[in-house]
Amino acid sequence: MGKEKIKLDKDLLDKVKKLSELAGYSSVEEFVAHCLEKEISKLEESDSEEEVKKKLKGLGYIS
Amino acid sequence: MNRRDFLKTGLAGAAGASLLGAAVSPDLITRAYGRTATRQKLIILGFDGMDSHLFQVWLAEGKLPAFKRLIGQGDFRTLGTSIPPQSPVAWSNFITGMDPGGHGIFDFMNRDPKLYIPVFSASETEEAKRTIRLGNLVLPLSAGKVKQLRRGRAFWQILEEHDVPATIFKMPSNYPPVETRQKTFSGMGTPDILGTYGICNYYSTRPARAAEELGGGGARLHEVYLIGNRMDAKLAGPVNTFKKDRPDTEVDFSVWVDPVHPVAKVVIQGQEFLLREKEWSDWKRVRFGLIPTQSVAGICRFYLKEIRPDFKLYVTPVNIDPADPALPLSTPDSYSKELARRFGPFFTKGLPADTNALGNGLLDEQEFLDMDNMILAEKDDILEYELNRFDSGVLFYYVSSTDQRQHMFWRFLDKTCPTYDPLLASKFGSVIPDIYQEADRILDRVMRKADKDTVIMVMSDHGFNPFRRCFNLNSWLRDSGYHALIDPGKDSNEDFFPNTDWRRTRAYGVGLNALYLNIRGRESQGIVPAGAEAERLLREIAAKLEQAVDPQTGERAILRAFVSKDIYHGAAAGLAPDIVLGFNRGYRISWGSPTGKIARNAFEDNKDKWSGDHMGAPEVIPGILAMNRKIKAGTPALYDLTPTILQVFGVDPPPEMRGRAIL
Repeated sequence: MGKEKIKLDKDLLDKVKKLSELAGYSSVEEFVAHCLEKEISKLEESDSEEEVKKKLKGLGYIS
Repeated sequence: MNRRDFLKTGLAGAAGASLLGAAVSPDLITRAYGRTATRQKLIILGFDGMDSHLFQVWLAEGKLPAFKRLIGQGDFRTLGTSIPPQSPVAWSNFITGMDPGGHGIFDFMNRDPKLYIPVFSASETEEAKRTIRLGNLVLPLSAGKVKQLRRGRAFWQILEEHDVPATIFKMPSNYPPVETRQKTFSGMGTPDILGTYGICNYYSTRPARAAEELGGGGARLHEVYLIGNRMDAKLAGPVNTFKKDRPDTEVDFSVWVDPVHPVAKVVIQGQEFLLREKEWSDWKRVRFGLIPTQSVAGICRFYLKEIRPDFKLYVTPVNIDPADPALPLSTPDSYSKELARRFGPFFTKGLPADTNALGNGLLDEQEFLDMDNMILAEKDDILEYELNRFDSGVLFYYVSSTDQRQHMFWRFLDKTCPTYDPLLASKFGSVIPDIYQEADRILDRVMRKADKDTVIMVMSDHGFNPFRRCFNLNSWLRDSGYHALIDPGKDSNEDFFPNTDWRRTRAYGVGLNALYLNIRGRESQGIVPAGAEAERLLREIAAKLEQAVDPQTGERAILRAFVSKDIYHGAAAGLAPDIVLGFNRGYRISWGSPTGKIARNAFEDNKDKWSGDHMGAPEVIPGILAMNRKIKAGTPALYDLTPTILQVFGVDPPPEMRGRAIL
């Protein structure tokens, strides 16, 4: 799997390091990846366009 | 997995907003229920979409003898519907006694003003906020949440405060069921196990042919192969949010086809059953595994449509199992289980008849009716059960088949309908009168059980109109200079306005009756200043809409373009669309406009089997009200029935109710 670097503000990075340790993550990368995955899934699954379409198709009013 | 566990996983949220049910406080469920026996009783029959004009014709012809008897004892009125007359709006008027400005349900869809996309109007969900990841698993630490977006108190909640008991069976627009100690079972709006309004599974050895038929969606199509005489397939379940990559769950099953006779054996999760060609199975329980300790229950029925030359197997949308509901179906929780214990599995999806399957040709007319008859029979049994023990308070009972059959079979009443077929009309032309007569038989049963202290109220939420011509609101706005395209030469007939130039667009349509201005500061790329300019533009567009003429017929498409601030009252009025369309008879919004498709022409024929609808101006589409009591009001409306229900029990209506008692 390819890896890319991203830049973080130093203050934020310090917080991330501290919290990832407190939360028991094995690395800062794992913590950051988890946070991002969670945010992405929220965006992807928040009553998305497709969800609305799927639901309304069941009702029969739209194509 | 029980409902609370299912909610906790957030699994429901992943499957769609409406799938996540509001957790009902266990305190409310387990607390002792203080019922007051009432001498006065009230039975309400709600026939969705029962049309005033058709009703009066068939009443005059003597086809509705029970209604005639009822009206002879009391009264009849046409019943004013909601603006717009969409079922979620209309039933919310009835439930709360308010108009949409009060209860906040304006359409099946609202729009997100930041993204210009439709969002579901009935409920919203939140997945579990706190989760923990263990390898490939994501485990929830907090509960997901669901919110019923309808505002205002339901009449049975108000009655509860006065210790008047109520049983409310399949009330539309009450998913998730609002908190109450009354017995309620949710109706229209209740999702299938996928969180949708109904996606069936269809298995065929000739999927290409089925795919052509599947223009309107609403089904999962599976290509299957008969190897020897065996077919292996998968039944799709909800998304598994326990897994990091959130795969769909599925259940394997197999079918063995008899090489000579038109019979097949289906094997699914240890259940084996034989089906002849053209035969429906009874309900089958299935469990979708999530992780070794967790699974979700659903129920479905199989229909073996054809064995040879093509193999075709239809499976109903997987309904939530009332015996083990993964999502909230009833209050208290035990009511759903009580009914399941007594009657076995039954349809729980809000509008259970699969109109999509008929629309797509996956089921034919007779097969659709067979399914709808099963739905009616199940409900009949439950009505009988509730009638036999009804001794106090209110009993509400709802029938969806009047609405669903009119949507799909209107084409056989109307020779000018683009999809009229004389051969099919000779066979199915009586479907709509028959369902009105079935409603009459239901009323007859109720009347036989009712004593002199029982008020009977029969009502519908709206009437029905033919749907012959489609009106694409966004195309009309484009043609009228209110909606600008980035590339006018490009096909814009795709969802969610991909070719719209928002910096030059002043108005757009999302939803079935709704028009919005592109207001600066409200919409993310709004250009119309709020205030006087918006007001002037609203009036201008409304006036032009009311003059919009279909070039093919010379008829006006829209009888009334309501400026919402003129018609809505209450705290939610500010959330309304800016203009609400009231269509002329024969017209409805096009199939694509509600989700932002902009067709080449603003008008086109409706070539769908879905040939009756109810998006009209309220004056062309009233419902019915028949009672065994005299009605004082000359022109009652849906929201007047709510204070009338309270009036029967001597309960004063709360000040927020717009309606007035009519007896």
